[in-house]
Amino acid sequence: MSSIAGQRFRVLPPQRPAGRNRPRTTREQLLTIGLFVIPGAIIYTLFLIWPIFQAGYFSLFKWNGLGVPTDFRGLENYVQAFNHDVFQQAITHSLIITVLSLVVQLPLALILSVTIGRKLPGRMIFRSIFFLPYVFSEVITAIIWGFVYHQNGMFNTIFGTIIPGYEPITWLADRNLALYAVFAVITWKYFGLHMILYMASLQQVSSEIEEAARIDGASEWQVLRFITFPMMAPTIRLTIYLSVLGSLNQFVLIWVLTAGGPANATHVLATYMYRFGIKSFNLGYGSAIAVIIFAVCLIFSVGYQRTIMHRDYAGAVE
Amino acid sequence: MNARKWLMLTLLIALLSVSAAAAQENVVVRWWHIVTTPAEFPVHMEQVANDFMAANPNVTIEITSLENEAFKERLATVMQAGDPPDLFQSWGGGVLWNYASAGLLRDITPELTADGGAWQNSFSAQAALNLFKYEDGYYGAPWNFGAVGFWYNTELFEQAGITELPATWDEFLGVVQQLKDAGITPIALGQKDKWPGHFWWVYLAIRTGGQATFEAAYTRQGSFADAPFVQAGELLNQLIALEPFQEGFLGQTYGDEAAAVGNGTAAMELMGQWAPGVQRGNSTSGEGIGDKLAWFPFPAVEGGLGTPSDVLGGGDGIAVGVNAPDAAIDFLKYFTSAEVQATHVEVMGTLPTVAEAEAGVTDPLMQTILGFRNNASYYQSYYDQFLPPAVAQAVLDAVDGLFNGVLTPEEAAQSIEDVASMEL
Amino acid sequence: MSAMATSAVRAPARVNKQAITRELILRRIFQYTILSALAFLIIGPITVAVLGGLKTTGEIFAEPFGLPAVARWENYGGILVSELFWRQLGNSLLIVGGTTLGTVFFSSLLAFVFARLDFPGRDLLFNYFTLGLLFPLTVAFLPVFIQVRNLGLIDNHLGIILPLVAFGIPGSTLILRGFFRAIPAELEDASYIDGCGTLGFFWYVLLPLARPALGAIVVLQTIVSWNEYFLPLLILTDDSKWPLPLGIMQFQGQYGTDWGRVMAFVSILMIPAVLFYIFTQKYIVTGLTGGELKG
Repeated sequence: MSSIAGQRFRVLPPQRPAGRNRPRTTREQLLTIGLFVIPGAIIYTLFLIWPIFQAGYFSLFKWNGLGVPTDFRGLENYVQAFNHDVFQQAITHSLIITVLSLVVQLPLALILSVTIGRKLPGRMIFRSIFFLPYVFSEVITAIIWGFVYHQNGMFNTIFGTIIPGYEPITWLADRNLALYAVFAVITWKYFGLHMILYMASLQQVSSEIEEAARIDGASEWQVLRFITFPMMAPTIRLTIYLSVLGSLNQFVLIWVLTAGGPANATHVLATYMYRFGIKSFNLGYGSAIAVIIFAVCLIFSVGYQRTIMHRDYAGAVE
Repeated sequence: MNARKWLMLTLLIALLSVSAAAAQENVVVRWWHIVTTPAEFPVHMEQVANDFMAANPNVTIEITSLENEAFKERLATVMQAGDPPDLFQSWGGGVLWNYASAGLLRDITPELTADGGAWQNSFSAQAALNLFKYEDGYYGAPWNFGAVGFWYNTELFEQAGITELPATWDEFLGVVQQLKDAGITPIALGQKDKWPGHFWWVYLAIRTGGQATFEAAYTRQGSFADAPFVQAGELLNQLIALEPFQEGFLGQTYGDEAAAVGNGTAAMELMGQWAPGVQRGNSTSGEGIGDKLAWFPFPAVEGGLGTPSDVLGGGDGIAVGVNAPDAAIDFLKYFTSAEVQATHVEVMGTLPTVAEAEAGVTDPLMQTILGFRNNASYYQSYYDQFLPPAVAQAVLDAVDGLFNGVLTPEEAAQSIEDVASMEL
Repeated sequence: MSAMATSAVRAPARVNKQAITRELILRRIFQYTILSALAFLIIGPITVAVLGGLKTTGEIFAEPFGLPAVARWENYGGILVSELFWRQLGNSLLIVGGTTLGTVFFSSLLAFVFARLDFPGRDLLFNYFTLGLLFPLTVAFLPVFIQVRNLGLIDNHLGIILPLVAFGIPGSTLILRGFFRAIPAELEDASYIDGCGTLGFFWYVLLPLARPALGAIVVLQTIVSWNEYFLPLLILTDDSKWPLPLGIMQFQGQYGTDWGRVMAFVSILMIPAVLFYIFTQKYIVTGLTGGELKG
C-alpha cells in the first residue's frame, strides 16, 4: 500500500470514473455533497479563511488594534518591513533553521531509522524514546530547555564533570551560539517525527532486493545509497516539505526560550511578527508580516509540489 | 460525546445565559489582577473582595488572576476587541493613556473629586496618581508604588574594603572596580528579560537630562536622540566595559539575577522595591542574605541636568474599564482606602499610596524607599510602562543592544527616536 | 534456479557470515553506544523537569541538574490535591473530546466527498480546504479571537473547540481522503448492488475500513488540543474553565516564579501525554504513514 502521508500531497492518480453502477440522480448527489460539505465549510471559513482575509485587510493600515482601522497606508507596512534590518536578520535566521533542518535533522533521522529500522534488538525502546518529545507541548519543552542550557544546567554540569578545566558555556547568551542552541531544541523535539516516517517507509523497502545486492558484493553503504534510499525517496521528499514549512513557522519554542534575543540574534519570521506587531501594538504591521509568512509558505508549497513532489505520482518508485 | 449530548450542552449554555440575564438587580464587577504568587497574596485579594461583597450584597466581584505576561497578552486582545474588564491591573502611563484616548476607560474624576476631593487628597503619592491621569480625566488609582535603587550586600562591600557608598557615577564605577579587584561579581543582571537592564539606561538618562529633556522628547519638542540620551548610553558603556556582571547574564532571567544576590554570589542589583522578596524566594536557603541586605539610591551624574532626588519608580494600580458599573469604582475606592491599604502592607509588604497606611511600613529599608518616593523632585515611571508600547519596546531593544555591544550610544538613542517620531 | 543460486553462493556466504558475526558485534556495540547517548539526550531534559519538581526555586537556579537536598514531594502533592487541578483536567478533557470529535466528524464527511464523488469544481474546492495547511494558528490568533468574540463565544469552551476544529480540518481531510481513495471501487460497486445508498456505503463500508486513519486523527488532534495554550488564554476569562496548560500561571508572579511548582506541574502534565503516547503510538504511526510499522 502506498503511504498515506505520501499521498497527502500527491496530485490525483488516475481514477476510475466514479459511479458507473451508482443508482442515483444528480439531485441526490448534489444533496449529499451539500449536506457533507457545507457544515465543515462553514466552520472552516468562519474560523480560518475569514481571519486570514482580515489579516490581509489590516495589513494595509497603520493600526494599533484599538477601534476600527482608519489610517490607510497602502503597502507601506510591507516596504517598512523589508527595510528593517531586524526583519532581514529574521529572514536569514529562518533560512538558517530551514537549511540546518534539511542538512542535519533529516539526515540524523534517516541514519537512525536505518540503524534501528528493521533488525536491531531493542528497537522498540529506542523508537519510543526518540519519538517521545514530539508529544510534549512547545511551552513545556522550552521551559525545560531553559534550565538544560542554564549556566549551572545539564550540559555545563556534565561537561564540567568530564572535561578538566571546563569553562561553562553561556549557550543562550552568546549571539553566535544562541541560534544553533535553539535549533538543537527544535531538533530534539521534531527529529523523532521524521524518524518514524522513515521507519514506516523502510518497512516497504523489499529486503530481498537489498539481500541480493549484498550477495552480489555490494557494501552496506552501496546498498543504502543505491537501493534503500532511492526506494524511500517519496517519504524523503515529503519530510523535506514538512520540515521546510515547520521551520518557517517556528514560534512558541523560540519565543519562550529566547524571545528573539540576545540582541535579535534568534528572531525568526514568526517571533519578529509577534514582537514588532503584537507586542508593540502595531497590528497593521504585524498583519503585513503574517501575510509575508503566508506568501513565502504558499510559494514554496506550490513550487515544491509542481517541481519535486510532482514525481511522486508518476509512479516511478512505489 | 455524541451529538445529543452536544445539543444538551448547547441548550444548557443557552439556558444559563438566559437565567443570568434575568437576575437583573445584581451587579457583576469583573476584576483582573496579577497577584498570583506566593499563594497567600491572591488569597488576600479574594478576602478583600469578599469583605466588600459582604457589605454590598448586591455586588458580585468576579476575580481573574493572571500571570504578568499572560495578563498583558490577554488585556491587549480584549482591548483590541473593545471589551475591557471592569477593573484591571495597570501601571499607569502610556499604555493606560492609549486605552483612555481610544475611549476604552471610564473617567473616575467625579468620584475622585467628590466631597471636596477627599479621595484624591488621600493619596500621598500624587505623582503615582498622576500616572492614571490622561488629559483632564483620571482613569484609575495606584495602591502600591515604590522606587528603583541599589540593593547591595553589606558583607561583600566590606570585604572589598568599600567604606563609603558612591554618591556620583564616577564613584560608583570605582566601587565596581574595587569589588572586581576583590574577586567579587559586582552586579547581577538578568538581561534575557530586557526590562532589568533598561533601568540602568533610563536612570542614567534621568540624571543626565532631568525632567525637562524627557518631557521635551515625549512631547516632541525635543528628541530621544538629544545629547543627554546619547550620554546615558556612553556612561552605561563605561560600566559595561568593566565587565561587572555575572557570567552569562545576557541569557539569564531576572530570576537568575535575584538568585545571584540572594545567594550572595553577586554584590548588588539595580531593582525595585520587590527585590528582597524575590531574592529570598530564589535563594538556595530560601532566606536570601538576611540583614546583610541594604539599599542606596542611584548616584548623581556630574554636570547632568537631573538631581539626585529625581526618582525612577513604578508599581501597581487599578484601571477602570469603560463599561464598569458604579460598584466597580466603589470597590476601587475601598481597595485604595487607608484601612484596606494597611492590610495590603501587612500581608503583601506593599508600599502604600495613602499617608495613613504608611505607618504600617515597619521595615527600615522600605521606610527609606517610601521617603525617597514621597520626596521625589521628579517621579518618572519605568519607560517600558510609561511610553506607548512600540516606543517602550524600542527602548528595551536599544538598551539590550548596548549591553550586547551591537549598538553605539548614538545608534541606540537614534533607534528609539526613529520609533518615537512615528508613534508620539 | 533458486537452488542453483543458493548452492553457487553457499560457500562464500558462510565465510561471509562468520566475518559478519565478529563485525556485527563490534557494529552493535558502536550502534548501542551512539543510540544510548542519544537516548540520554532525550531523557536527560525530562529528568531535569521531574527532579526540578522536587526542589525549591533556589535549588533549581543553583543546580538545575542535581538531586534535591530534601525531596519536596509537597510540590507534586499540593497540585494533585487541589480542586482546581482536577477541574482543569476535566476542562482539558472536554476541549480534547470536542475538538477530536468535531474534527473527525467534519473532515470525514469532506474527505468522502473529495475522494469518492465527482462533480465540477471539486479540485478547486479541495484546494480551498487545503489552503489552511499553510496558515498556523499562532499567526492568525488575533483575527480568530475577534471572530470568536463576534460570535459571542467568549468564556465558552466552544470558542476554543471550533477554531481548533477549523485548523484541524485541512490536515485531517487530506489524511482521510487518501485512505478513502485507497479503498477499491469494486467494494463501492458491490455495496450499491447490495442496495446501499451513498450514506450506507459511507457509514458501513468506508468508515470501518478507515479506522486506522480515524484513530490517527484522534491522536494527532488530541496532542494539539491538549497542548494548546494561546487560544484558551485569550478566550477563557473564568479560571474554573481553564484547561491544564494555563494552570502553570498559578506559580508565575509579576516579579518572581515558583519554579519548583512549575516543574512539578510540567512533569504532571507530561504523564498523561506519555501514557497516551504509549497506548496510541500504533495509531500515530499509522496515521502519519499509512504503513504498518511492526514492533
